[in-house]
Amino acid sequence: MLAYLAKSIVGAVVVLLVMSFIFFSLQSIIPADPARAIAGPNAPLETVEAMREQLGLDDPAVVQYGRFLFRLAHADLGTSVRTRRPVSDDIREFLPATLELGLVSIALGMVLAGAMAALQFLIPGSAGIRLAMVGVGSTPIFLSALLLAYFFWFQLDWLPGAGRLTYGDFAGPTGLNVIDGILVGRPEVSIDALLHMILPALALALPIGIAVGRSLNGALHEVMRQTYIRTARGKGLGETKVLLRHGLRNAATAPLSMLSLQVRLLFGNLLVVERVFGWPGLGLYAVQAFASADLPAVLGVAIVFGILYIMANTLIEIVQSMADSRINL
Amino acid sequence: MVKLPHRLSEPVTESVLAVKDLSVTLSREGRPSRVLDGISFDMFPGEIMALVGESGSGKTSIGLTLQGLLPREHLPQIAGSIRLAGIELVGAGRRTWQSVRRHLVRAISQDPMGALNPTMTIRRQMRESNAGSEGSIEDWLSRTGLLDPDRIADALPHRLSGGQRQRVLIAMAMMARPKLLIADEPTTALDVTMQAQILDLLRDLAREQQTAILFVTHDLTVAASLADRALVLYAGRIVEMGGMQDVAGNAAHPYSAGLLAARFDLDSDRRRPLPTLPSERTPSTNVENACAYATRCPIAQPDCTTIRPPLEPAYVHAGAVACLHHKQTPTLSALRTDAKPWPALAIQETAALRLSNIGKAYPTGIRSFWGRRQPQPVLNSVNLSIKLGECVALVGESGAGKSTLVRIAAGLVTPESGTVARFDRLPPQVVFQDPVAALTPWLTIGEQIGERLRAISPDSDYGRRRVGEAMKLVGLDPILMDALPAEMSVGQCQRAVLARAVIVPPRLLLCDEPISAMDVSLAATTLNLLGDLRRRLDMAMLFVTHDLAAARIIADRIAVLKDGQLVEIADPDAIVAAPQSPYTRSLVTAMPSLQAGGGR
Repeated sequence: MLAYLAKSIVGAVVVLLVMSFIFFSLQSIIPADPARAIAGPNAPLETVEAMREQLGLDDPAVVQYGRFLFRLAHADLGTSVRTRRPVSDDIREFLPATLELGLVSIALGMVLAGAMAALQFLIPGSAGIRLAMVGVGSTPIFLSALLLAYFFWFQLDWLPGAGRLTYGDFAGPTGLNVIDGILVGRPEVSIDALLHMILPALALALPIGIAVGRSLNGALHEVMRQTYIRTARGKGLGETKVLLRHGLRNAATAPLSMLSLQVRLLFGNLLVVERVFGWPGLGLYAVQAFASADLPAVLGVAIVFGILYIMANTLIEIVQSMADSRINL
Repeated sequence: MVKLPHRLSEPVTESVLAVKDLSVTLSREGRPSRVLDGISFDMFPGEIMALVGESGSGKTSIGLTLQGLLPREHLPQIAGSIRLAGIELVGAGRRTWQSVRRHLVRAISQDPMGALNPTMTIRRQMRESNAGSEGSIEDWLSRTGLLDPDRIADALPHRLSGGQRQRVLIAMAMMARPKLLIADEPTTALDVTMQAQILDLLRDLAREQQTAILFVTHDLTVAASLADRALVLYAGRIVEMGGMQDVAGNAAHPYSAGLLAARFDLDSDRRRPLPTLPSERTPSTNVENACAYATRCPIAQPDCTTIRPPLEPAYVHAGAVACLHHKQTPTLSALRTDAKPWPALAIQETAALRLSNIGKAYPTGIRSFWGRRQPQPVLNSVNLSIKLGECVALVGESGAGKSTLVRIAAGLVTPESGTVARFDRLPPQVVFQDPVAALTPWLTIGEQIGERLRAISPDSDYGRRRVGEAMKLVGLDPILMDALPAEMSVGQCQRAVLARAVIVPPRLLLCDEPISAMDVSLAATTLNLLGDLRRRLDMAMLFVTHDLAAARIIADRIAVLKDGQLVEIADPDAIVAAPQSPYTRSLVTAMPSLQAGGGR
């Protein structure tokens, strides 16, 4: 286990290095000029040149990359071209919103997956369920997010569809509004935060639920045909006990792998969904950074997402090895 | 139904199980087929009843029906009556079945490796089984002869051997103190020494707890060493029932007689082909008013195809038999012994395969901090050579390293030390244990056999002729060239695998447990086929088995592998008559025989 953790940390460092190199190379390839962007389109050439020198963009590429890595090692991700603030400050501000939304989406996705597998198990071969699954599963995320926002917010006005919170000035200790509301004794904030999260989280949870649910359903079908399930039934156990005690745990490996895959896709989907629902998180921040060729900000977000993905993946593999002790980490 | 004398020495007790006119229909892919047809029998406390039949005879279905565990997707339709301890089970509700499974009927399955939940400790799985009986889990485990019950209780199944798992399953079933135990081929996956121990254990438990045991098997010899009575099942019908010794010693039905003749043991004549059942079982259609065995029966008369024979008192013993002409059955044994002897062998001095100082280790156990695992030696400087035209059988218990040695000989596994020298440069052909798994499901038999012709297209006239010749050589009808594996029986699949191996005759054929999953008759047929092929094509053969009797029949020399080392290599009859190593001795003494009590 220790060796495994050490390995995944080494893996994270390697990923960071590769990512930083790719981004650094991008910086010099893409036609955008950060000095011009900072100085403004109408600034005189001298100002732009002065800015270029100030930013160190004149130095040789190796020097620039060395400086870049040195700063990276000190958690200095540079200054955002757009917000003119250190990228690390920006990330600190926007990360909690994304974490909160992402975690709730994953949880909701797993609930959906369980419900779907249970439904398919109870009504095997139902054409309706399969049709719904194919329908939802084939809807691209930007469309499903827009449809959710259109119907439940714009048309029906059942749920809020923009922003994180109605209370504009609320700021809690952790930045996770649902928890902060409870911590500071304002439960109405927690409820409000949850209501705001339902639509974006649902949009993000649907693909997770479909993919993991299908995988769980397939694995359960396979497991429930095994001889040890017959042994369990032969002991006179009820069908629910057989399913929960003997079926679920043995079927867990494949859906967990699928979940790990879906978490990776989730980071991409966050960009779209945060944009659609105006969710003030890292996804929205990244979209805005793209639009203004704000490379330090894009790199910052990519690094945070990379680390989050490696953490999620490690966690899922640990859960897998706990579910099935034959998996030796 | 015929009244049968029960166990004679004891007073007549109340039967624990009464099955009457039981018929079961299962639907596979929308087609209903009757798997059990008018089955009636009783069982008494403490009695062991053998249920004998080939694969596909419905014997496993009886076990599942008695537990209410027939697969739901096959839409089972059950008619008749099953009374277990006075409770009617046909048409019983879910709750009743659950309670019956909890308290009255338990089962041990054929496959100890798959029958335990891999993610649950033995202790938790056993705790689930405990229906309020006294005695701790450790007590029950040690009662089945497991030496360190504490360790085993806390272990996960994959840490245990097949024999240990089977004992755990027996302990798990017996601790519920069931009235009826269904043992579905509990020893097929085990080697003979282990098999003998498990049979002893079952016998003791039946007596001790007065549990009735329904012992499902395809092997009359194993049945004879254990059971009090026997039921012989063919195509879902009872064809013979009676005292175990009566049926085994003096079969009344031609089918039972055929099963007996097809069994081979350490005394079988190895100079000529083994007697086998006439042809393989064909799915018989429209046998409603006929004897299902008529198509294979050597003494069938015209009336056999128009009248369904009733179960009536047998002529040769005190049991019952369903055959219109059972008085002729005794004449059958005389017909069977006249097979022509094998032609003489031409063994050359040149080696077809020479293995020198072969060593191999696999990493096993828990990984160390840096992810490396301790290598566990599997083979230890093994020296073995096979001459051209010679057959050497490799015998040993599971885990002895037999399969690894075959894979090394085939060039599929690289040994850590030692050298492999083969006579020809073509890779040897390998026949594996499961013929169905060895065929690709979506390619026709002809395509798969013809694949080895490489340069010649199997679709060309010449290619098709070559494939057809190879099929005829192994006794397959060339009509089956366009069949898919799923459309053929296990025996036909095995023949197809052999045809693929011999279409370009190899100098060396490697067989890894080719008969261990087969019933007796099919095993004998396969041994005959291999014996014929190796003589006709002048092939050397390495035949791996855990069955000493099969090894003795097929091989010119037997090599005994124990814990990765060759402990003995000699002429088959010499090994059986005077085994040198203690392990070989235990193999010889553990062979079941038809006499009651087992053992030689």
